[in-house]
Amino acid sequence: MAKATDFKFLQEVLLFKDLAEDEKAAVWARLEERRLRRGDVLFREGDGGKELFFIRSGAVIVSKHVKGRVEQVLARLGPGDFFGEMSLFDDQPRSATIQAEDETVMYGLDRASLDYLIEQNPRAATAFFTQVVLVLIKRLRDSSELVAEVTRWGLEATGVDVERPASGGH
Amino acid sequence: MSTRAKLELLVRSESGDDFRITKVESSLAYRQVRPQRITEGQYEVAALRSSVRRSTTYVVKNRLNEKYIELSEAEKFLWDQMNGRTSVEELGVAYVLRFGAFDFDIIHSLIDKLQRAELLTMRPVSRLREVLARNRRNPAARAAEATLKALERLTVGSRSAHEAFARVYRYGAFLIFSPVGLGLLALVTVLGFRGTREIWNDSANLYHGFGEHPIIGLVLVKLFFFLTLITHQMLHALALVHYGRRVKEFGFTMLHGFLPTFYADVTDVFMGSRRARIVAGISGPLVHLFLGSLYIYLASQCGPGLLKSFLVASAIIQSQSLFFSLYPFCFLEMDGYHVLVDWLGLPRLKSESLSFVRHRLWQRLRAGVGLSREEVVFVSYVGLSIFSIAAFVGLNVWFLVHTT
Repeated sequence: MAKATDFKFLQEVLLFKDLAEDEKAAVWARLEERRLRRGDVLFREGDGGKELFFIRSGAVIVSKHVKGRVEQVLARLGPGDFFGEMSLFDDQPRSATIQAEDETVMYGLDRASLDYLIEQNPRAATAFFTQVVLVLIKRLRDSSELVAEVTRWGLEATGVDVERPASGGH
Repeated sequence: MSTRAKLELLVRSESGDDFRITKVESSLAYRQVRPQRITEGQYEVAALRSSVRRSTTYVVKNRLNEKYIELSEAEKFLWDQMNGRTSVEELGVAYVLRFGAFDFDIIHSLIDKLQRAELLTMRPVSRLREVLARNRRNPAARAAEATLKALERLTVGSRSAHEAFARVYRYGAFLIFSPVGLGLLALVTVLGFRGTREIWNDSANLYHGFGEHPIIGLVLVKLFFFLTLITHQMLHALALVHYGRRVKEFGFTMLHGFLPTFYADVTDVFMGSRRARIVAGISGPLVHLFLGSLYIYLASQCGPGLLKSFLVASAIIQSQSLFFSLYPFCFLEMDGYHVLVDWLGLPRLKSESLSFVRHRLWQRLRAGVGLSREEVVFVSYVGLSIFSIAAFVGLNVWFLVHTT
């Protein structure tokens, strides 16, 4: 269970921004603390899991398998950020791997706790989900940026000049 | 101008316990692209000699789409290198060796021009892989291709090996490139010659030490030799450190999918002096001289038995490796070939020689036109290589006939 002295941290988490103090306290009581050393993997792409995590301190790397031992870094998350919400909502395997870049402390919120929040305090749950949607929109924008950057990388790496008409020649 | 795009990648360690983050810039990937001409027969090349400019330009025609492009002599040189095995970075090195100046833009604009005329293609690098890819309907070919792919994954390499070699060099390996190292090599070589003379008199009984299992003994000798091959590549890498150049990669791979070998990427030595290139070239083979001499000397000090036979057989293999590494005339691009190429200033000696002998030599001889100095070198290279291979095959046949 999360330490009472760290309760103040919840104020910094965007997801709980619009929750009243007593609502935050109710959520806080249901969070589970997790600690990772540098290099520890919290979960891998394809694993099962129904927990959402908030980073208290440290940093994690979100990566997706490309080939062999190589993975693409999708994002770095730090204090106040959350991850793992996709599997929490759609019951699908984890879509990416999470590993600690530094010593990291985080808190996990499972599906049962979220259901409890929805049942007990629909207003607080609505505020929570509004923030989730806003963060997901931002992540969608970031993903579009990443796709554009990877495409630019591919064009530069192959030297293909797509601006010039294909019917060039002498 | 916008900065180059970068991919941020996470690479796990072999054990999976740790990882490192690496950023790959698109320009690095571009330098490692291996452009390849379309198949011979799908294009034709015509030379246009300008008597005014005293230079030749070339017109390349793509027979498939009727597109034409014009190439300067420098561009034609680069086009000839685009065999699917030479990276853009290596093209740059070859260009420097040939023209004495670095001009990366010419490579970039040439690739662009060739791509627009669809004169470049992406094909499997190895002929064997190409044949297998063509016959994927055949289950045996499919299985062979899958096996080769799996074996190719056995490549283990490190792009940060330079630091390790720099440390080894600092902690003592610098002595190898000092008068102390040279003196030690000379001493061991002299001892080796002396040992050879003593062993020679007892050559009839050399392999008796392997007892009733000479084949197993020789296989073990081969395996032991394979382990020493890493020192050959390490010496190349240390020579680079000695001359202040960078070891770009070091590792183990299955060459063409089936030949286990260690490798060191020493292309940075081309940015060094000629002396650096020659020392880097011969330092690997000299390992075989050192080990061969040492083994034969130790063998001469041993009484008859397994150890003596093992040492003699190992010394013979080391001597063969020394010879094959340094001998340039056998159509193989070994260390000696690279030293010769550097000395002659002809980076494409093998391909140009073969091309000249195949396509132009007979015309010249029929027309009674004399050969230029460069062409004499081409003919000599091909002639010596054919003679060497024939002599090697002949010697082996003679050996088999006289020992069985």
